Amino acid sequence: MPADDLVFSAPATVAEAVAQLGGDDGEAIAMGGGTSVAMLLKNDLIEPGRIVWLGKIPGLRQLMAASDGTLRIGATVTLRELAAAEPVREHAPALAYAAGQVGNPRVRAVATLGGALVHGDPRQDIPPVLLALEARVRVAGPSGEREIPVAGFHTGFLETALAAGELVTDIIIPAAPGRRSVYARFTPGSEDDYPTVGVAASVVRAGDGRVTRATLALGGVGPAPLLVSRAGELAGRVPGAGDIEAVAAAAEQAADPVDDRLGSARYKKAMAREWTRRALRACLAGERGRPDSGPAGS
Amino acid sequence: MSRNDAWAKASGQTRYAADLSLPGMLHAAVVRSMVPHARILGISTKQAEAADGVIGVFTAADVNPHPYGRSVRDVPILASGVVRFTGERVAAVVAESRRAAEAAAALVEVSYDELPAVLSAEEAIAPGAPAVHDAPWDYPRAVARPADGPNVQSRVVHGSLAGAEEALSRAEFTVDRTYSTPSVHHGYLEPQACVAAVENGRVRVWAANKSPYRLRGQLAECLELDPALIEIQPVPLGGDFGGKGSPMDIPLCIELSRLTGRPVKLVLRYVEDLTATNPRHPARIRVRAGCDAGGRLVGMAVQALFNGGAYAGFKPLANVNLHGAEDCLMAYDIPASYIESVIAYTNTVPRGHMRSPGSPQSAFAVESALDELAATAGIDPAELRARNLVQPGGPRHSGGPAWAEARGGETLRALRAALQHAGTDSPASPAAPSPPPGWRQGTGIAVYARGVPRLGTTSIRLVPAGEHGRVRVEVPIPETGTGSHTVVRNRLAAELGISPDDVEVVQVSTAGLPADPGVGASRVTVGMTEALSRAARAWRARTRDEPVVVELGAGSPPGPAGTPGAAGQAAPAAGDSAAAAPLVSYCAQAARVAVDPGTGQVKVLEIISAVDTGQIINPLAHQMQIDGGTVMGYGFACLEDLAEEDGQVLAASLGDFKIASMKDVPSLRTVLVEGGRGVGTANVKPIGELANVPTAAAIANAVAAATGCRVRDLPITAEKVFWALREAGTAGGPASGAGDGPVHGAGSSSGAGAAGSAGEKAADMAGKGRVR
Amino acid sequence: MKISFTLNGAPAQADAPPDALLVDLIRGLGHTGTKEACGVGVCGVCTVLVNDLPVSSCLYLAACAEGAEVWTAEGLAREDPALIRAFAECEGMQCGICTPGQVVAAAALARGRERPEATEDEIREHQSGNLCRCTGYQTIAESVRAYLASR
Repeated sequence: MPADDLVFSAPATVAEAVAQLGGDDGEAIAMGGGTSVAMLLKNDLIEPGRIVWLGKIPGLRQLMAASDGTLRIGATVTLRELAAAEPVREHAPALAYAAGQVGNPRVRAVATLGGALVHGDPRQDIPPVLLALEARVRVAGPSGEREIPVAGFHTGFLETALAAGELVTDIIIPAAPGRRSVYARFTPGSEDDYPTVGVAASVVRAGDGRVTRATLALGGVGPAPLLVSRAGELAGRVPGAGDIEAVAAAAEQAADPVDDRLGSARYKKAMAREWTRRALRACLAGERGRPDSGPAGS
Repeated sequence: MSRNDAWAKASGQTRYAADLSLPGMLHAAVVRSMVPHARILGISTKQAEAADGVIGVFTAADVNPHPYGRSVRDVPILASGVVRFTGERVAAVVAESRRAAEAAAALVEVSYDELPAVLSAEEAIAPGAPAVHDAPWDYPRAVARPADGPNVQSRVVHGSLAGAEEALSRAEFTVDRTYSTPSVHHGYLEPQACVAAVENGRVRVWAANKSPYRLRGQLAECLELDPALIEIQPVPLGGDFGGKGSPMDIPLCIELSRLTGRPVKLVLRYVEDLTATNPRHPARIRVRAGCDAGGRLVGMAVQALFNGGAYAGFKPLANVNLHGAEDCLMAYDIPASYIESVIAYTNTVPRGHMRSPGSPQSAFAVESALDELAATAGIDPAELRARNLVQPGGPRHSGGPAWAEARGGETLRALRAALQHAGTDSPASPAAPSPPPGWRQGTGIAVYARGVPRLGTTSIRLVPAGEHGRVRVEVPIPETGTGSHTVVRNRLAAELGISPDDVEVVQVSTAGLPADPGVGASRVTVGMTEALSRAARAWRARTRDEPVVVELGAGSPPGPAGTPGAAGQAAPAAGDSAAAAPLVSYCAQAARVAVDPGTGQVKVLEIISAVDTGQIINPLAHQMQIDGGTVMGYGFACLEDLAEEDGQVLAASLGDFKIASMKDVPSLRTVLVEGGRGVGTANVKPIGELANVPTAAAIANAVAAATGCRVRDLPITAEKVFWALREAGTAGGPASGAGDGPVHGAGSSSGAGAAGSAGEKAADMAGKGRVR
Repeated sequence: MKISFTLNGAPAQADAPPDALLVDLIRGLGHTGTKEACGVGVCGVCTVLVNDLPVSSCLYLAACAEGAEVWTAEGLAREDPALIRAFAECEGMQCGICTPGQVVAAAALARGRERPEATEDEIREHQSGNLCRCTGYQTIAESVRAYLASR
C-alpha cells in the first residue's frame, strides 16, 4: 500500500520534473505511460512518496529526424507512435517493428520509449534493439545533463545507470547509411507474450558487400539485455556461413538465462544460437525490421 | 434474429454479480494461507481491526464450523486449526471499501507450524504418506475408506484387470505408455463474485453460480438453515466452464453478512481465481492397448491417477470421481477392458469440474495410445479407429444396454472426407495458411464419444404479458453465455407460432420456481426444450388466461448430492419413450500442424471438427460452442499450464496462464453430421462439452506425424519437441523433408469419402471469412 | 485528490487517492460496463478510450485522466449504435463479460484509421489484445469487420 501522503504531480517542464524527483517527499518515481508503475504499486513492490508523471511535458514527446538520418526520440513518445513514425520505419525499422510488437494495442497506446528503457526487464523487446542500434540515452538530473550509451545503461535486473533524481529525456539513434537492422522475436507459445528470446541485429555494408559494422544484442537471456561483442568481428569481410556460426556460438556461450515458463535455460541458450543465426542471415540478405524467419537452410 | 441479451451485453448494460450494490453494503477481503500444510498456531487481528474503514476481522471461531461440499462435505468456510493448501481461506476482513478491506487483510498475521505436505498424487498415495485429512471417511457422503490407503478421495473401477491383461498377453501388437496433463484453469473472464444479505433470518444471495437450486440446498445443509429462508437471486454469469458450480466463498459471504448485520460483497482478485478456486484435475494416465494382426482391439487397460487437491467437496458426483475418466473407452468396442480412476488428496488447491470433467485428460491418453498402437501395427490411425468404433446396436462390453444409435463411423468418415479437401480452396472455405517453407507437416486425428444426458428435473413458468399473445417465460437457470435464454425464447416462439420479439425470458430467484439442477453436464438445452414443449401444449390448452407451470421429473427432487449428468444416471421423465436405450454423441477432430525443426515450434494450421448432431435449435450458438470448445482444446494442448511447484501455482495471472488470443487461433472448420437421434421432442444432442476434448490428442498425433516424435505430457511446447528432435538426431541443420524416422499416420488418410450409410447428411459449415 | 474529466460526453468528477486506478473510478461512478478481470492489462475487459486511444483502465492511474475525454461501451452505444448493432447482429459474444471491452477496442480501431477498411491481419492484430474464453473469436472478428464496413 502506498504511503498515506502519496503525492501525484504532472510537471510541465523537465526542470520542474527534475526538481520534483529530487525533492524530499521520500522516494519519488518518474512515470511514463504508467503500466509498469501501476503494476509495481498494485503488487506493493514500491512505496513511493511521490509519482511524477512526465506525460504533460511537451518537449519529451517530440520525435525528430536529422537530414543524415539521426533520430532524436523524446522519452515519452509512445510505442504506438514509434511504430507508426515514418522516420523510424525508414532509418531504424527494427525499432519500429519491435515497438509494434510490445504487449498489446492498449499497452502501446500509453507505454513510452523512455519507460521501456528504464523499467529494465530483460524480457522486453525494446532494450536489445536500442543496443544493436548503438543508441545513446540523454539524461537530465540535479547535476545537469549527460549522455549515456545504451551499452552501459542496464546494470542489472530492473536496474539502470540512472542516478537519484535523474530522468531520461531523449534517446538518440545514430544514423548509419546502408544499415540493415532486424529484430527477431521468438514466441513459440502464444503470440501475445514476452519472447523466449529476442535477437536484434544490425549490419552496415559497404558497396562491395563487405560488412563495415555489425552489432547484435539479445533479450531474455540474462538479468540485462546482452550485447554480443563477437558480432563486431564480422566487420571487414563478406561473412560466410562459418562467420555467422561463430557469432551464433558466441551468443549461446554468452547467454546466461534462467529457467522459467518461457523455457529452460538450456533451451534459451540453444535458441539464442538459432535465432542469432537467423537474424544475421536476414540482415545480411538485406531484410529490414521483421526478419523472414525460417528454419536453417530454407 | 440476435440473442435476446446481445444489445445489453454489447453496450455494457448487463449487470453481473460484481456490478451490484445494495444500500449499506460492505466489502470483504480474504486472508489466505501462504503454506501448503500447517497447524494454525495463532491469528493476530488487532492491527487489521484498527485499520481505517474496517468493521471486523473474522476467523473460524466466528463462523459456522460445518464444512460444505457439492457431494462430500469436507470444505471448511474458514480453515480451523489446520490449513491444507497454499491459498486456503484463513480469515476475512470486512470494511467500508474493497481497498480498505484489502489493506487490512495484509495486516492480519497468521503463525503456522508447518507440517509435511504431499504435493503430487503419486506421493500422496504412497504407503506412509502424510495425511491431508486425518479421517476423510468421516465426512458426510465421503466414499473414501480406510482400506483405500492414504489420501484417496475416491477410486472407481470398471471391467477386469486380469481379463484385460490376459487379452493383452495374447495380442499381436501392444503398447504400454503413460501420459500426463497439467493443472489448467477455466479461464472465465469474470472473477468469482458474490453479494450476500442476511436480514431477519432470511438470506438473499447474488452470486456467479450456475446452479441456484443446488446452491440453495448446499447452503442450507452447511449453515443449517431452512432452504425456504434462502433465496438465490437471478444473475447472469461471465463464463463458467464448470468453475462456478460450488458454494466457493458464498458461505463465508453469508456469514460475514450475518456477523456484521449488513450486506457484504466479496469479489475475488484474479490471482485468487487462478490459485485458490477449483481448477481441472492434473492426471497421470497409463494406457495399455493391444490389437490383432487385423487391427481389431483385443484389450485395453487404462489406469488414471488424478490429483484432487486438498478437498473433495468441489466434485458433484456421488462417487466423487470423474465420469470422463470412467467413460474414456466408450467410443470403442473392446472385448476386454479395464478402467481404474483414482483421485488423491494432496496439499494443493482443491480440484473441481471443468468442461467435460476427466475427458480431455483421458482422451489425450487414449487417443495418443491408439495412434502409437497403430504405428506399431503398421496400420493407418484412422483405419484403426474405423475398425473398432462401436457399431449401432452392437455389444457394449463394458456393460449396460446397447446404444440406441452410435454414429462414430459416419462421423469419422465425414472427417476423413473433409481432410481430402484440406489445404485447398473451395468457395465455402478459404484455405488454411500454408506452412512456412522448411517446416515439417503432419496431420493427426482423434475421436471422442460422450453420453447424452437424459432428461432431468427442471421447471418453467409461462406468464401472459400483455396484448397480442406476449409471453414471459420464467426460467430457473442463469445465462452463463451459452445462449440458453435465447434458445428458450426461440423455441417457445416456434412452439406457439409467435414472434420471438413477443417472448421475454427472465431468470427468477429460487423462490420463483420449484426446481432445477443448474447449468452443466450439457443438460440445459435438452431439459429446457422438453419443458417448453410441454409448457406450450399446456398453454394452448388453457381455458383461462393464467400462468402455466411445468415441472419435469418432479419425482426426483434436486438435492445437493449427485447430478443427473452422465448417460443413464437420471430417472427419465414420465412419458419419455426414448428412455430405454442410451444415446451417445461423437466428435472426431483432425489437426494439421507444421513444425519448425530448428526450434521445435508447432504451428497448428487448421483444426477440422466433425460433429454428430441431432436437431440444431440455434445454428450460430451451436457453432460457437464448437469453435469455443476447439479453441479451449487447443489451449489445453499447446498453451495452458498453471505451473505448480512446491504446492504453489506459479502462473498467478493471465499474463502467465496463457489462454488463446485471436492471433493464436488456428483456422477452424466444422463438418456437421446431422440427422442423429437426440433427446426429447426437440431431438437435441448437447454440444457444449464435445469439441474441447479430442483436440490435444489430434495435435499430439499430428506432431508425431510431422516429426516422428511423440509428446506425452501436455502442453506440447516447442521446447519439448525440440529436445525430442535432438534426441532423435533430426533437429538442426538443413531440413531434410518431412519426417525422418518412423512417421505416424503421415499425411491425410487415403480412403473413404463421406458417402455412406443411408440417412447421413454432412454439411460443411466452414463459412466465409473465418479468422485464421 | 479531485479528478475532473469528461466521461461519455458529460463532465465527471471524483475524489480519489493519487494511486486510484481509472477502472475503479469509472465503476465507482456507476458505469459498470467496464469490467475488471486479470488486473494486469492482458485480458482487455477493462478497455476504455482515453482521448481516442484504447487503454487498460486497470493499469491507468486515474490522475492521468485529468482533463481527458474518456469513453466506455455505454457511451459509445449512444453515440454510435452501428457499433453495437454489428456485435448484436454478428453475435460477437456469449457470456458477454469481454464484450464491452471488445466493443471499445473496435471503436478504437475505427478511430485510429484514415481509411475505414482494414485487412484481416490488421483486425486480428488490433483485436487480439482482447481475450475471450467463450466464442473462439470467429464471430468477434466478423462483428468488427461488419462495423468497419458499415462506416
